Amino acid sequence: MTKLLRLAGLAVVLVVSLLFAVFVGDQGPWYFAWVIGTVMIILISGAGAIMLDAQSSLSPDGEI
Amino acid sequence: MEFINPDVVDLSRFQFALTALYHFMFVPLTLGLTFMLAAMETVYVVTGRQIYKDMAQFWGKLFGINFAIGVATGITMEFEFGTNWSMYSHFFGDMFGTPLAIEGLMAFFMESTFVGLMFFGWDRLSRQAHLAVTYLVALGSNLSALWILIANAGMNMPEGAHFDPETMRMQFESFVDLVFNPDAQAKFVHTSVAGYVSAAMFVMGISAFYLLRGQHRQFAARSFRMAALFGIISTVAVITLGDVLGRLDYEKQPTKIAAIEGLWHTSNPPFEPWIVAALPDDAKQENHYEIGVPLVLTPLITHTFDQPITGMHELEDQAGPRIRSGIDAVAALRRYGVTHSGTDLAQFSAHEQDMGYGLLATRHAPGQDVTAIPADQVDDVVRATQPDILPNVFVTFWSFRLMVFLSLWFFALFAISAYLSLKRRLERSRLLLKLCMWSIPLPILATEFGWITAEAGRQPWTVFGWLPTFLSASSHGMSYMVFSLIGFVLLYSVFIAAELYLMFKFARLGPDHDSMEPHAPAAPMVSAFDMRPMAS
Repeated sequence: MTKLLRLAGLAVVLVVSLLFAVFVGDQGPWYFAWVIGTVMIILISGAGAIMLDAQSSLSPDGEI
Repeated sequence: MEFINPDVVDLSRFQFALTALYHFMFVPLTLGLTFMLAAMETVYVVTGRQIYKDMAQFWGKLFGINFAIGVATGITMEFEFGTNWSMYSHFFGDMFGTPLAIEGLMAFFMESTFVGLMFFGWDRLSRQAHLAVTYLVALGSNLSALWILIANAGMNMPEGAHFDPETMRMQFESFVDLVFNPDAQAKFVHTSVAGYVSAAMFVMGISAFYLLRGQHRQFAARSFRMAALFGIISTVAVITLGDVLGRLDYEKQPTKIAAIEGLWHTSNPPFEPWIVAALPDDAKQENHYEIGVPLVLTPLITHTFDQPITGMHELEDQAGPRIRSGIDAVAALRRYGVTHSGTDLAQFSAHEQDMGYGLLATRHAPGQDVTAIPADQVDDVVRATQPDILPNVFVTFWSFRLMVFLSLWFFALFAISAYLSLKRRLERSRLLLKLCMWSIPLPILATEFGWITAEAGRQPWTVFGWLPTFLSASSHGMSYMVFSLIGFVLLYSVFIAAELYLMFKFARLGPDHDSMEPHAPAAPMVSAFDMRPMAS
């Protein structure tokens, strides 16, 4: 039951996201670009930090 | 009509400019730092490594100092609209008040509520719930900026409203047009992402300070890497949206784009040079000591190779008939206010789109009353009003250039910093680290120059094409204006001093200075994977 509710919740989020993308993407393309761009910036900067963790584990005595 | 004291108008403008510029020293950091905190905390939740929690908490502390003082500086500005700009508030309050009210009710309360949870909820909320709270703080602070910029866009490109001759004010008619105003969209993204650049430089600069001193190396390396990547993408986005705003100004605010480019005569496509530097002379209406790059201006502004950009002399010529028509509009409106006759209303409606230009002419009319202009002196009044349609070219031209030059500097600095961080060669690049540290205040300066470009370039209007600035102010006495101005300067200077003192103090103390690595320059590098156990 919990899984079903979680699935339903995710489906609702998906539908809302799609509606948001269609409406805002059409009416306010720069607003849409801001949402997508901000998520991308966060993910890339986070990935950079995780990459540094991996680099550090490969050469623990290396330079920063 | 009550006589307008130009000194009171100038002091009102100066006071608003000063309070806005003071306030805007705090805003960009809030806008960007919240999303940087969200990025750090996201990595913490995904990896479970304590160091990212330490990062989110330390940078969150500095964000808290900035947020608390920044909020205080913003509140006074909302009251200034009523106290110093009452004519503007009457004319445009219906349009302007709506986004401001939404900002206060929705975004500001949302931000303030979740800020408390973000600071005090670390031990009370699950990791996922706290991350959601941090994202809501980021969203709330940026939504605050959104509504403010929607209101500002209404002043620059009024859409979603019409003038009502019965109420003598702009009546709000379309919420969708207000929210999706192209100027609001581009300006919001440009401003918000400029905040990301400011925050990235702030984090990168302080991290560079630690690296130069060999302190908190693991912490600083990760903060530096995240900030450099955050900053380089944000800088590209800022430049892109700056281009969009330039294109919008070309279409909707030709006087602003001509002043930004110091273009006194209509351009000659495609050869027109982009003026890198010059000394624009507002009095003589020409540039001195021009240095330009040929073939750049036309594609830069029009995105074509054949469309001309109208120069300021030609814009003055084009304004002549509109001023004449506007004088007829204001005269018909005055008559309609007395007679309420259909004939007068029809005459006003025929010239309504030029009403603002008629109001602009009141400064040169006998007794500041355009209906009192003798028929044989209308041409003189029109000629005297024509130069008034231009903003201060020197200020607009140079504030724009300083913003652009600084953004190019940020691009270079973030790009080199990101490259060296990814190659793990930061510590041998001491000059770069020093440059990062010294560059901390520059994005704040760049956003201030951006604001000056946008607002000085909008002059002589508060509502572009509809309401001149000199008719927008309240009728205060000089002593009131001078006294309140001195009060604001003193109060805001105290805020700035407090912010700088606290920022320097806590930045020097560093992150969790009791539990992080010792202050030893030669401390052995320890993998973040081995630093601490997973946080509970």
